[in-house]
Amino acid sequence: MKTHTSVKLPIYPRLACLWNHKKLTPLLVFSFVLFYANVATAQTQTVTGTVKDENGSGLAGVSIVEKGSARGVTTDGQGKFSIGLQKPSTLVFSYTGYDSQEILASPGSPVDISLKREANALTDVVVVGYGTQRRKDVTGAVSTVDIANVKDIPPTNPSKLLAGQVSGVLVKQPTGEPGRGMEINIRGISSLGAGSSPLWVIDGFPFGDDIGRNINPNDIESISVLKDAVSSAIYGARGSNGVILVTTKHAKTNQHYTSFNAFYGIANVPNDRRVKMMNGPEFAQYKKEVYEEKVRYYDNREPTIDDVPEEYRDPSQYPTTNWYDLILHNNAPSQNYNLTYGNGGERFHSLLSIGYNKEDGALKYTGYDRFSVLANLDGKVNDFITIGLKLNGSYARNQKAPSTEGRDNTVGSALIMDPRKSAYNDDGSLNPYIAGNDIVFGWPNPLLLLRDAHRNDETADLLSNVFVEVNFLKHFKFKSSINTRLSYLTDKWFKPSTIAGVNAPPPRDATLEQSTSYVTNYSADQLLTYTNQFGASRLEVLAGYTAQQETFKQTKGTATKFPNDLTPYLDAGSTKSSSSDENGWTTAAFFGRVNYNFDDRYLLTASFRREGSSRFGEGNKYGDFPAVSAGWRIYNEAFFPKNGFLSDLKFRGSYGITGNNNIGNYTQLSFVDPYDPMTQSATNLDNYILGGQFVSGLVVQNPANVNLKWEKSKTLDVGFDLNAFDNKVSFSADYYNKKTNDMLLPVQIPVISGFTNYTTNVGSVRNSGYEFSLGYNNKFGEVGFHASANFSTNKSKVLEIKGGEDRIIYSNFYGPQNISQVGSPIAMLYGFKSLGIFQNQEEIDKSPTQNGAIPGTFKMFDGDGDGIISYDNKDMVQLGNPTPAYTYGINVGADFKGFDLSVLCTGAGDYKIYRAIEESTMNMDGVFNILQEGKDRWRSPSQPGKGKWPTSNNWQWERESSSVYVYDGTHFWIRNITLGYSFPENKVLKGLRVYGTVDNFYVFKSYPGANPEVNNSSAAADGDQRPGSDDEFYPLPRKFILGLNVTF
Amino acid sequence: MQTMKINHKLLIAGIATILLSACRKEYLEKSDPTKIGTETFYKNKTEADQAVNGVYGILQNIGQGQWLLTEQITDNTAVDLDPGNRGNAPSLETFEFMTVTSGNGSLADMYNRTYNGIYNINVALTKIPEAEMTEEEKAVDIGQLKFLRGYFYFLLAQYYGDVIVITEPLVDPADAYNFQRTPVDTAYALIVQDLTDAVANLPESYPPAEVGRATKGAALTLLGKVYLTRKQYPEAQEALSQVTGLGYSLVPNYADVFDPTKKNGTESIFDIQYQGDNDQGEWSNFIYSFAPRLSGEAVTGWAQAIPGGWNTPSNDIINAYEPGDLRKDVSIGLDFASPATGDTIPYVKKYAHAHTIYNRTNDNWPVLRYSDALLMLAETINEQGGPTGEAYTYINDVRARAGLPALSGLSQSSFRDTLEHERRIELAFENQRWFDLKRMHTPAEVAAILNKFGAKEKAKPTVDRQGVAFSAQDYIFTENEVLYPIPNREIITNSSLTQNPGY
Repeated sequence: MKTHTSVKLPIYPRLACLWNHKKLTPLLVFSFVLFYANVATAQTQTVTGTVKDENGSGLAGVSIVEKGSARGVTTDGQGKFSIGLQKPSTLVFSYTGYDSQEILASPGSPVDISLKREANALTDVVVVGYGTQRRKDVTGAVSTVDIANVKDIPPTNPSKLLAGQVSGVLVKQPTGEPGRGMEINIRGISSLGAGSSPLWVIDGFPFGDDIGRNINPNDIESISVLKDAVSSAIYGARGSNGVILVTTKHAKTNQHYTSFNAFYGIANVPNDRRVKMMNGPEFAQYKKEVYEEKVRYYDNREPTIDDVPEEYRDPSQYPTTNWYDLILHNNAPSQNYNLTYGNGGERFHSLLSIGYNKEDGALKYTGYDRFSVLANLDGKVNDFITIGLKLNGSYARNQKAPSTEGRDNTVGSALIMDPRKSAYNDDGSLNPYIAGNDIVFGWPNPLLLLRDAHRNDETADLLSNVFVEVNFLKHFKFKSSINTRLSYLTDKWFKPSTIAGVNAPPPRDATLEQSTSYVTNYSADQLLTYTNQFGASRLEVLAGYTAQQETFKQTKGTATKFPNDLTPYLDAGSTKSSSSDENGWTTAAFFGRVNYNFDDRYLLTASFRREGSSRFGEGNKYGDFPAVSAGWRIYNEAFFPKNGFLSDLKFRGSYGITGNNNIGNYTQLSFVDPYDPMTQSATNLDNYILGGQFVSGLVVQNPANVNLKWEKSKTLDVGFDLNAFDNKVSFSADYYNKKTNDMLLPVQIPVISGFTNYTTNVGSVRNSGYEFSLGYNNKFGEVGFHASANFSTNKSKVLEIKGGEDRIIYSNFYGPQNISQVGSPIAMLYGFKSLGIFQNQEEIDKSPTQNGAIPGTFKMFDGDGDGIISYDNKDMVQLGNPTPAYTYGINVGADFKGFDLSVLCTGAGDYKIYRAIEESTMNMDGVFNILQEGKDRWRSPSQPGKGKWPTSNNWQWERESSSVYVYDGTHFWIRNITLGYSFPENKVLKGLRVYGTVDNFYVFKSYPGANPEVNNSSAAADGDQRPGSDDEFYPLPRKFILGLNVTF
Repeated sequence: MQTMKINHKLLIAGIATILLSACRKEYLEKSDPTKIGTETFYKNKTEADQAVNGVYGILQNIGQGQWLLTEQITDNTAVDLDPGNRGNAPSLETFEFMTVTSGNGSLADMYNRTYNGIYNINVALTKIPEAEMTEEEKAVDIGQLKFLRGYFYFLLAQYYGDVIVITEPLVDPADAYNFQRTPVDTAYALIVQDLTDAVANLPESYPPAEVGRATKGAALTLLGKVYLTRKQYPEAQEALSQVTGLGYSLVPNYADVFDPTKKNGTESIFDIQYQGDNDQGEWSNFIYSFAPRLSGEAVTGWAQAIPGGWNTPSNDIINAYEPGDLRKDVSIGLDFASPATGDTIPYVKKYAHAHTIYNRTNDNWPVLRYSDALLMLAETINEQGGPTGEAYTYINDVRARAGLPALSGLSQSSFRDTLEHERRIELAFENQRWFDLKRMHTPAEVAAILNKFGAKEKAKPTVDRQGVAFSAQDYIFTENEVLYPIPNREIITNSSLTQNPGY
């Protein structure tokens, strides 16, 4: 504080009142030097020196001020400085993110020091909604990702940078598909029907609930996560699932550097994450036993070899194809290059970054590459006007597997195909169809599918931002900015005639699906801020107006009946259909915020946003989102002992309202069109034939709901932040309690209304939990050590659901089901509860009536106690909570003489996974290959196996949602291990670091599936809350990376 | 500093302009550019006709799946069981094995579509009187809508007994929670009223471009069928007699009734119209459901076809044909031998016709045929005191075309039995058998007939089951099962709704 109040330069009237003094200090000092350099007199003697960081790299831009005078300089690119002194003086070294140091320097003797990172390094200044705040002044629940912690994580998607870094944020990597983003939930699932993904805001531009694939993670300078109401209510209307603020890199004043990063890596699916099916002889043996067991049970005699079809009589004769292994790409290469040029002059700052990332997938013939550029320019037109331009463009190509999730798709089918068959013909070519016989299903060869029927998409994305900022009347600042996103996506999927279907050998009709989509999104923000200081009071007032609109346009064509497979274009097909779509939304909002700080002791923030959305009915378009918070820095009170172990302590609390409108466009309106409302499928159009001619028919598609309005969440957050032991230790704790009301929910209604569901505002849910984060930073001799850990809990409860009943069931006919029921957590797994296996007929006779039960069948629990296990949901019960009760992340790092080592671990506990694929991979009737566990099935009362798996004599009660497939998901990931070495700088290079990283290194788990973070209910409709299903997925590889960072 | 101040004024003015300019009210009013809002629709004849066509479109979708509920459940058909598909096949097989439960997806699908159709009718009936079109044009549209609403409620009453009767579109969909099932008489009162209105409003025929719409004859025939079901024989006779005066006749060749190149012939009273061989999405594909599973090319003509093997003619009906009945070869294909077992697997041939695009057949589905009307007329006469010469004329006309000798000298009850048999053969696989069984027999008799059939199937299935054993509950038909269960989803969404007994 003292620094900036003492420097009063008339040409920087606005800077004097900015709080962000540390960042600006070098700038001020530099300017000061420019002004007064010529004043230096002859008797001055020069002191030179070097300022380094803890790793020994030179720090550029460190401000060095002679204490008690106005004299100061900054370090150059190598961390070198020279300052003129007339007598021994104390020099104050300060640099953003580092502890200040004072050193008594004498003219003539060089000063070499190294600065230590602050306990809250890099988080000293926190990016918050529409601005920045000092960490010390934050009164809401805002967490930041320490970018230094995640810089070596192979950055295929920016969302991965959040994993394990921030408390209260659940980051799941459900699949290993290249470039695919993580699933992110902040503080639990707080909406039953309107999505639970946070809002991403990139450089002030509300981007949507998915960051997409096109931001280059290398270009990210900071990530802030806004968790409570007072932080996110300024984005009010869309903030109820939390907000993630991403800021891209820009050059700072006096920062001149060029850096080049490159890595090369390979990815493998480790053996222990591969699903183990039976091999050829085992499968033949299994089939043989299935025949024998049938004879034993149904004919009640010992089988003879004649009871077994000839092909299974000698199981040992068969070779094995491990289809799963066959489709995996071993040593899939990935590479990444990034060149950044930052040039920060006094009046003009420019940063240019070029990146290229290429990653081959863990499945053969899949891969992803992205080319990106970022240009961030800003400069002063004159002393009070600043303008800036940012362009962030990318082009990405994605070669995807045709379809990966679910039994009938590439990965699932590779598990259950006949392992006795070969993938290749005698001539070495791929056999397109792995025929089934004797009721075994026939499947397309998955390797041929990957090679010849992949799906390609290409995305070009351009984000731009222009702004003008005007400082006027000393305390005012006005910023007007326009953000745009232009996004272009093509998707093309050609399935040649050689591609088989399930039980359908080729040749088949070749098909082509091709689509082109555009998204345009604009927002215009006008922001007025007033900052002033009155004695010990500091005040910042912000008022703004924002309007945003998005339009999506798509043209799509499909064609079949191609004369050959050589011309995969729509023209060549003789049967074609096409469609086009267009939709969009608009929002407009006024907002304001007041931050008040009295004497760095009492902190108060109040914000308000009034937002209108095109998605709601007339009269309900606007919602009001207020929030308040208060903080007490008790440490700064006079009575607080300053000589204890504490170095800072702050209590804070916040309360406010945030909203959600994530329900798709036009839901409140009713339309007519030819689509069958029951299926929305293009093959059930409600047109008709009259007189042998097509006539157009239109039916009402959905009911109108003019009363539709904002979903609102009320969040209470209380917490404290403390620093201790000279800031070596930092600790934060939060309790939150968030109640979501008027949930936007597609509600089941009696079909006599004409429809099976409509979207309305019903019910409420509560999410509550605790969050802790701990940081530690110390140096033991030459060994630097830093660690951070976070731990969060979440508990949810459905308080109310209206509409027919107090529960919502998300179900398919087969497979996993979820239920949200009043009094229980959200989206519990739901199904029949298995009590074990029926051992004999007497047991069946004694038990409730269960259709189709024979000895060896699952014995199901009679949920409603009516004596009948009924084949619907009457007897189904809750089977477990798919949302982890707690999650945590641990970062540990050490450095020694240029070496650095860091380890990132993540974990989650006390939750359940429904391993849906087992309904097929443990399908006992012999139509599919089965898991090794199939050997432990029930064979007879004397050979009951492990008591878990049923007989092969029956298929009933094996395909319905049941507890048999529910497993504990508790796990601990060693996510990432990095070892690096930084060479001492030389004349050419400011920095050179080489490192090796292992990503997705090892997971400790009891779950039998490969990935405990899986979540692929492929059948889930939009907005449905159906977490926790594993229907087999794109495998998650382990990656080994060697990388290089050069700065010069 | 002077310039600075001016700049500030300009700035403040500029900010105010920007703030104010963007808050026009229309900015937040967006509607789907690809669709027409329901509020603005139904304004003229074109739109009213499109709304009516849309209901026919719903009927088309209902027609695609109705065989499960009305044919597969009966003794007319068995299944070509797929031992490898224990996935989604069992839910369809429950109709064959008489183990239907309230959770059945196909049942819910039919229920949902039927009420969706009724909703669209109710909306259109509210809006069309306000449209800009002549009164005559309105009458024809309203007549068709009422015919369709009568038909839909007739299906519901037959399937479920007591149903929820709703005749107005709900303004607030949440009001649907307040409706309860009412005694089936309420539904029948509405059905009779709707069909009577349809008779009054509908023309006897349409210009060629509109053939396929419901006619006066269709309304009369359906009204006759409803009265017959209700055992109101004089009223049934009154309605059906009028049909004979409308110019319908039996086509000489039974096969022509189903020939897509001879659609909507003189015998057709009301068909659900389909058209294949094009891209317009209005095709049928019944044969792809009905052909034996492994018959692909042999029956459908397309090698890639994987037919369903549903609605397979049972040994029971195959053996029921009288010797020399010309209809047997038209209705049932006996020319396909399974490559797996070598056995002949019968299939419904009525809907097997050549088509030029895979999975897109041209076959219409007959709902009301003149032979049906004649046999119903014979039935209504017989029920009012035994067979008369007129009654014999009607049944013998139908038999003559089938190449069968004329009947005479039967008692009332033999005539009734003969009629039932004649209807079973004449209207085989046309979704008539289930309603006939229910109309002509008590629930106990229906149970006896179906259990007898089931016992035969269990002893010797029409199609070999390749080792898949029957479950103990298969083919056990209880009296209560003459009514289907109300779909579970409805009971869940409205827990005060009552279920049919036994489910």
